[in-house]
Amino acid sequence: MNSRLHTNSKKKNEKVHRPSRATRLFIVWRKLKKSKLAIAGFGIVLLMSLVALLSPIIAPYSPDSPSGSSRMPPSMEHIFGTDNLGRDMLTLVMYGARISVYVGIATVLIEIAIGLSIGMTAGYFGGIIDEILMRVADVVFTLPMLMMVLLAISMFEVRSINIIILVMAILEWPLMSRVVRSEYLSLREATYVEAARSMGASNLRIMVRHILPNILSVMIVLATMDIPWFILLEATITFLGFGDPMSSSWGVLLERGFPHMSTSWWIITFPGLALLITSLGFNLLGDGLRDALDVKVRE
Amino acid sequence: MTMKDYLIRRLIVIIPTFFLITVIIFTLIHLAPGDPTTMMGGARPLREDVKEKIRIEYGLNQPIPVQYLIWLNKLLHGDLGYSYISGSSVIDMISARISLTIELQLLAELLSIAIAVVLGVIAAVKHHSIYDASCSVGALIGYSTPDFWLALMLILVFAVWLGWFPTSRPETVGLTFTTPFHALFDHLKHMFLPTLTLVTVWTAYLFRMVRSAMLEVLTQDYITTARSKGLKERVVIYKHALRNALLPVVTYVGYSIGLLFTGAVVVEEIFALPGLGQLMVERSEARDYPTLMGLSIVIAIMVLIASLCADIAYAAVDPRIRYD
Repeated sequence: MNSRLHTNSKKKNEKVHRPSRATRLFIVWRKLKKSKLAIAGFGIVLLMSLVALLSPIIAPYSPDSPSGSSRMPPSMEHIFGTDNLGRDMLTLVMYGARISVYVGIATVLIEIAIGLSIGMTAGYFGGIIDEILMRVADVVFTLPMLMMVLLAISMFEVRSINIIILVMAILEWPLMSRVVRSEYLSLREATYVEAARSMGASNLRIMVRHILPNILSVMIVLATMDIPWFILLEATITFLGFGDPMSSSWGVLLERGFPHMSTSWWIITFPGLALLITSLGFNLLGDGLRDALDVKVRE
Repeated sequence: MTMKDYLIRRLIVIIPTFFLITVIIFTLIHLAPGDPTTMMGGARPLREDVKEKIRIEYGLNQPIPVQYLIWLNKLLHGDLGYSYISGSSVIDMISARISLTIELQLLAELLSIAIAVVLGVIAAVKHHSIYDASCSVGALIGYSTPDFWLALMLILVFAVWLGWFPTSRPETVGLTFTTPFHALFDHLKHMFLPTLTLVTVWTAYLFRMVRSAMLEVLTQDYITTARSKGLKERVVIYKHALRNALLPVVTYVGYSIGLLFTGAVVVEEIFALPGLGQLMVERSEARDYPTLMGLSIVIAIMVLIASLCADIAYAAVDPRIRYD
């Protein structure tokens, strides 16, 4: 009884300062703000997300019906020109942002789900489980990515964006699981894990409640850096003709513009520029977050 | 353990990896709804009895594990089967096209490694300078550029507007060359834009790696020791730092051959170069399973060999590795 009182009073006197979640976010933001490039990246990402969300409201024309004659060069009415069906390119590019942002985020979420659970299991338990899971990860990593994606996509009867997302995530998890694994491998030896175990916490509880919060910053950086890669990969796949031809993804726009490129440069220039800027934005933000959160990730 | 033992062990690890890859590729193909007979005949689907005959002829009526064993047995004997579409031997089709893909890959890879190492080392040595900043931003832009779009832009500027380079094919059609030199020149002219596309994206990628590896190495104690011994800065940079900085780069290059192949597929498709990538795209649409499986296996083998080479190079460069 006495000792308990003692500890309590000691705690009160020390006033352990633990910053709240909001404060920690603010600290990261303050560090991020120091880099102009990171802020530029953040701005681009924000802008693209807004365009993606608001495209039905802010797009000047309809994406489905012609608003001018075929292949008009850029002008005041059509800043990005029109495509071969007379549709406004600016509108199409705006609607394309919806697909790209969706693809980037959805794929990363699935990739995290797979990569995290496999990496976590391998790193925490180690031994034969680790050996098997990492061998599988190595093999999947060795598979030529684009080739496997095309192979898998051509298997399905329907062309849909969700199939592309799923296939990309299933083939891309190994790198993330490797990073997660090495984090768990070292953190499972930490004193706080030992303490949690001595109090009878289950393995799952230690993995999720105790270790996971400590690798959150690594996960955030990895995810931000993978988004542009998925966006570009999806555009490549759809450009090669494996996308949903009814959607106006940037890759599909480029595929349709390819035959007309020698006469109308604007059809292939603007969707590509949009791709470049979006992926640049995420890469800048990823680099900035890496420095702000002080995470070491092999490029 | 000697180098020889290490190599033998490394080679033994390749065997289960290879089998796992064959299983994955085979499963992936056979997960597909329907079978090849659905695509045969194109717009006019085949009659059910004809389909049945074809299934028996190709062994498609056997259970999947049996099909896998038959396929694996043939594969190990160097028989990749025959295309469902053209009927020609898969191994012949691949060997006719493989040289162009390898040429493009090697050309792009060697050039980008050379450029990236030089630029990356200078950027790391002159850390925080204008040169470093502009190279880094340039690399980030290059790294964010979709390779296929870059190819389109290069065609637009250099082929359509300026007319300096041809847009497609590995050589000029219908031209008879008077000298082999002329033929080579023509070929290189056709390869210029495809190579430039890959080199741009790849240099950007590798530059970031070399620079960060070099920056990390330059803060190490042994560099300070080397400097305090009074060694010339050039010796410190090139003999002590660069050698260690290249280690992660070497490994990465070996493992990323598959990634480079992704770029090659796109470039071959856009520039109409008859390589493996173009075959891949063409046959994916037609679901020519034997060709696709053959291609996947050949490329996976190429990647395995490349990663093996990278590991050997790593062991050779790094004195710390004791092969155990």
